[in-house]
Amino acid sequence: MNLKEWIFTTDHKRVGVLYLIGSMAAFIVAGIMAMLMRVELSTLGPTITSNPSSYNVWLYAHGAVMILGFQIPALTGFFANYCIPLMIGAKDVAFPRVNALSVWLFYVGIILALLTFFIPDPPDVMWTGYPPYSTITAGNTALYSFTVLILGFASIIGGVNFLTTIAYMRAPGLTWNKLNIFVWCTLGAFVLQLIFVPVLGTAVTLISMDKYLGTTFFDPARGGDVLTYQNLFWFYSHPAVYVIFLPFFGVLFEIVATFAKNRVFNYNAVVYGGIGGIILLSGVVWVHHLYVSGMIDWIRIGQMVTTLMISVPVGLMLIGLVGTLYKGSITFETPMLYALGVLFLFLIGGLTGIPLALPSLTLHLSETYYVVGHFHYVMAVAGTFSIFAGVYYWFPKITGRMYNEFWGKLGFWVTFVGTNIVFWTMMDIGVKGMPRRYYDYSHFSQFEGAHQLMTIGAAILGVGFAIALVNWIVGAMKGAPAGDNPWQSMSLEWTTVSPPPHGNWPSPPSVSAEWTPYAYDRR
Amino acid sequence: MNRILKHWAATALIAVSNVAMAAGGDGQSSGQTPASGNIAKLQYLHKGEARIADPAPGWDYLWKEVLIDITVIGILFALMTAFFIWRYRRVPGGPQVGSAPKLSPAAAIGWAVIPAFVFLADDLFLAANGWVLWNKFRDVPADRLEIHLESGMYSWDYTYPNGVQTQNELVVPAGKAILLRMTSRDTLHSHFIPDFRVKEDSMPGRTTFLWFLPREAGKEHVVTCAEYCGVMHSYMAGRIIVKTPEEFKQWYEAGAAAAKRSS
Amino acid sequence: MSQQDAAHHHAGHAHAHWDYSIWPAIISIGVLAWSLAFCFQFVYHMPFAALITFGLGLPMILGGVAGWTNEAIGKGEGLSYGAMGWFILAEAMIFATFFVYYWYMRLSAPSWPPAGTPTLPIVYPLVMTVILVTSSFTIHMAEEEAMHRGDRGTVLKWLLLTMLLGFTFLGMSIYEWGHLIAEGFTISSNAFGTTFYSITGLHASHVIVGLAIFTAGLFPALKGTIPAGFWRPASLYWHFVDIIWFFVVSQVYFW
Ligand code: HEA
Ligand code: HEA
Ligand code: CUA
Ligand SMILES: [Cu+2]
Repeated sequence: MNLKEWIFTTDHKRVGVLYLIGSMAAFIVAGIMAMLMRVELSTLGPTITSNPSSYNVWLYAHGAVMILGFQIPALTGFFANYCIPLMIGAKDVAFPRVNALSVWLFYVGIILALLTFFIPDPPDVMWTGYPPYSTITAGNTALYSFTVLILGFASIIGGVNFLTTIAYMRAPGLTWNKLNIFVWCTLGAFVLQLIFVPVLGTAVTLISMDKYLGTTFFDPARGGDVLTYQNLFWFYSHPAVYVIFLPFFGVLFEIVATFAKNRVFNYNAVVYGGIGGIILLSGVVWVHHLYVSGMIDWIRIGQMVTTLMISVPVGLMLIGLVGTLYKGSITFETPMLYALGVLFLFLIGGLTGIPLALPSLTLHLSETYYVVGHFHYVMAVAGTFSIFAGVYYWFPKITGRMYNEFWGKLGFWVTFVGTNIVFWTMMDIGVKGMPRRYYDYSHFSQFEGAHQLMTIGAAILGVGFAIALVNWIVGAMKGAPAGDNPWQSMSLEWTTVSPPPHGNWPSPPSVSAEWTPYAYDRR
Repeated sequence: MNRILKHWAATALIAVSNVAMAAGGDGQSSGQTPASGNIAKLQYLHKGEARIADPAPGWDYLWKEVLIDITVIGILFALMTAFFIWRYRRVPGGPQVGSAPKLSPAAAIGWAVIPAFVFLADDLFLAANGWVLWNKFRDVPADRLEIHLESGMYSWDYTYPNGVQTQNELVVPAGKAILLRMTSRDTLHSHFIPDFRVKEDSMPGRTTFLWFLPREAGKEHVVTCAEYCGVMHSYMAGRIIVKTPEEFKQWYEAGAAAAKRSS
Repeated sequence: MSQQDAAHHHAGHAHAHWDYSIWPAIISIGVLAWSLAFCFQFVYHMPFAALITFGLGLPMILGGVAGWTNEAIGKGEGLSYGAMGWFILAEAMIFATFFVYYWYMRLSAPSWPPAGTPTLPIVYPLVMTVILVTSSFTIHMAEEEAMHRGDRGTVLKWLLLTMLLGFTFLGMSIYEWGHLIAEGFTISSNAFGTTFYSITGLHASHVIVGLAIFTAGLFPALKGTIPAGFWRPASLYWHFVDIIWFFVVSQVYFW
């Protein structure tokens, strides 16, 4: 194997694998930060550090790296890179070098994020970076700005690349209405990235300009305004949650359709109603993060209604998923197990967003562990499970080998138990008033038991993830040969050899009129 | 059925009327005088403790209502999913591929539009209820004690109308609405009183407000900071001490006298 | 070096050659160095370290872009025109953010412009506008030539004219800034200073990027390649820079 052809590769599959390695490394680092936090919180008062700053830096690194370094790159970097050209029957992406630039910038972003642990005065501004704190802290806010900017730019050029690829490089006969749902979902995610990342990039740049170059954007003493940052930040960061949500639901669709050997239920409603609806609504709901921020009151009613309305497109997508099981012929290999787990757990995450959408309920719930529980259910549980499901699902395609089914299933069940212990408890103490971002909760001593329970749950969950990670590494090295299409899927990526060669197909595929990726009954 | 319809229509109406009022500029925006609001005039001009519309119990009620709502939806979906998983699992000798029917155009549209309307109806129902309660949280009774709060790293500094100042300790009379006008001298903070189900950020350059109704004399309530404001964020806490009106009066006047003497 | 487009695709063969390119990596490392340079200079106040990291980054970024262009120009930019459209959407959002901030500050300010703002010139920005519009026209001529007849001399003539106009515009911007700063009006003066310098600066940075794209295409053009797949998106980008200037001029200077 030629090392330079790996490191400097422009091939979409290798770029994808590089994305996978980087994002998994990010996951492990951020996961270890979570474990440190959990241990710290297991007793009242100082436990493993007596310096609140250390905790704040862990929390900053945990939130920023999990979202910007793990989930978004795993979903729009790894899955998109690996699967989209294969699913649309293309040789590669439209601009392979731009793709290489994107993954390299991603690594630069990761390196900057990891520098947090090695520099003096690391950033401690939380993943939201709100001023005025971020402009007066002794911590290195510039590092935060650059991390976000560079990862954001990597994502924008990735988006340009994939939108062009999907629009112009589909195999002959592969019309828009035959695209895999995953391709549609990722397309939606990239449209959101292109529109909203620039706003975030601008916001974090302004923070550093204020702090280091003397501008007055967010300084009320000199004519600026603090709240503007929060608006700009959430104008991106709310859509960002759908940048995570859309691709991971896309992964679920592929897996559920394959293991139920069934057509996707109501494809058009999922694509145009679900994905389309989310794109349309996602830009007009950001104020639900600002319900207690002192924004003018009237702006809340419109955004409350639009926030609640997101349940319509999401509900349509969920009906599509559940409906795909209807009259299926379901088998329960590891990827399907994770996917079915998400079907239940996403309900908890999504539905607990509904009370948060009401400004009145949020007056109490905002900034408590209830919110933390909500978003861990949607991201850390539903999102991570979907990513794990996807990695298991395409594992034989990527490596040409099979992982171990027993350890796969065991890992799933351990994680399933662990996540529910941790994140359910979070919501419970949150409703009772436990505020988030607390290094020490000595004036809420009634929650000590719950925090200990969560720490135990987190350990269980860490073991579950560790099982999966080890299973992949062992499987990639010593797994039994898997064959080209172990799941008997109809989708195009399974029609080439495993692992696919450079160029993907000896001669580009074309598809027939009655073919769709899910037409199992026509086989 | 009829009653449910009526309830929905009523709540929707309230919501719509509130939009109209809000758009009409009732001056409810934070930083302006809450009392000038039309809604306040329309609904809560009563005097006396018992008749003040206290939103905190309303919060508990709405929370329960919403919780039931989402639990029912969640259980319906979960049951359906579980049933499908069990019913359509592959069994030896059974079909090897799925046989879901291809939806006719009418069925496809129906399966999109009908659920969409059902979900939307529930959304609007929740929105209306949520908005009514929100207005209660923002309508400050005219008969109230107005206290200025300056938050800073890491303390709550209260100033009473007569100049009495306290730090991290808010002494209030039972049965009277307490309005805090808040600002900050450095970073963001959020004055969170879990027992009264309210919080609101304070920040430099703007004035925000929140109000609550302490009911029981002799009780203490935790105040805690709910917006990340710096290294010692988690230590930024205080207490609300509720006294009987008589005790409060005594304390208040003694404080004023002391303030006069020391100045 | 890597040959993306050369017919190496004997796919399926286990020892087949996989494409690679070192330039994206070099540019990225340059970006990393520059990020560190900023931190050294402004966060840790270590100007020497900042200078070194900046100096390391500079050749990497310039060399990376040059190597990339050299390696790739004229080979399969067929889809760049559509891609440039998407990229411009993202760029437009950056400007939109600044303008929304500017409008918001302006409309909520008690008086505008805030105290301490000198009067801005009127004729000067108009001259700049005329120059930029002309350059949009000249690059269009270059593009047309490259697409249809492909006469290298004509393309070069229009291209050089465009670049001349672009540099003139940039020079005028710098002169204007210097003039205002000399009057004591800086980016930290007040809310208008902050928005004025950041919006015009952002626009100027796009002029620089545009000129860099032209420079990158100039050398191949001198050597004989004038791929339409390069010049069409390049010209589209320049038109975008031009259109944004209308917003800048009308909102910042004349409103
Ligand atoms: C992938 C990530 C993701 C996803 C998908 C969501 C989805 C949703 N989120 Fe969440 N959210 C986050 C990630 C995510 N969120 C994060 C990270 C934060 C905190 C950030 C921070 O402060 O650090 C947050 C915070 C957050 C807040 C702010 C809380 C606060 O700080 O005060 C709110 C408020 O409205 C909210 C609401 C919602 C809603 C309504 C949805 C909806 O999209 C959910 C829709 C889904 C369903 C409703 C379930 C399925 C649908 C049906 C079964 C149909 C029928 C249902 C009905 C009719 C109700 N979220
Ligand atoms: C995708 C996003 C994501 C994911 C996956 C997670 C995963 C986890 N998160 Fe986190 N979290 C956030 C996004 C995420 N989180 C965000 C955005 C915040 C808010 C930040 C802010 O306030 O600014 C937050 C905040 C947050 C808090 C709140 C702290 C506070 O407010 O004070 C807590 C507390 O318990 C927590 C815990 C956890 C735990 C236990 C996991 C676990 O699921 C992690 C499990 C992973 C591993 C453990 C690593 C892999 C396993 C191994 C390497 C094996 C070896 C390890 C062991 C055997 C232990 N997270
Ligand atoms: Cu004050 Cu947190
Ligand atoms: Cu949101």
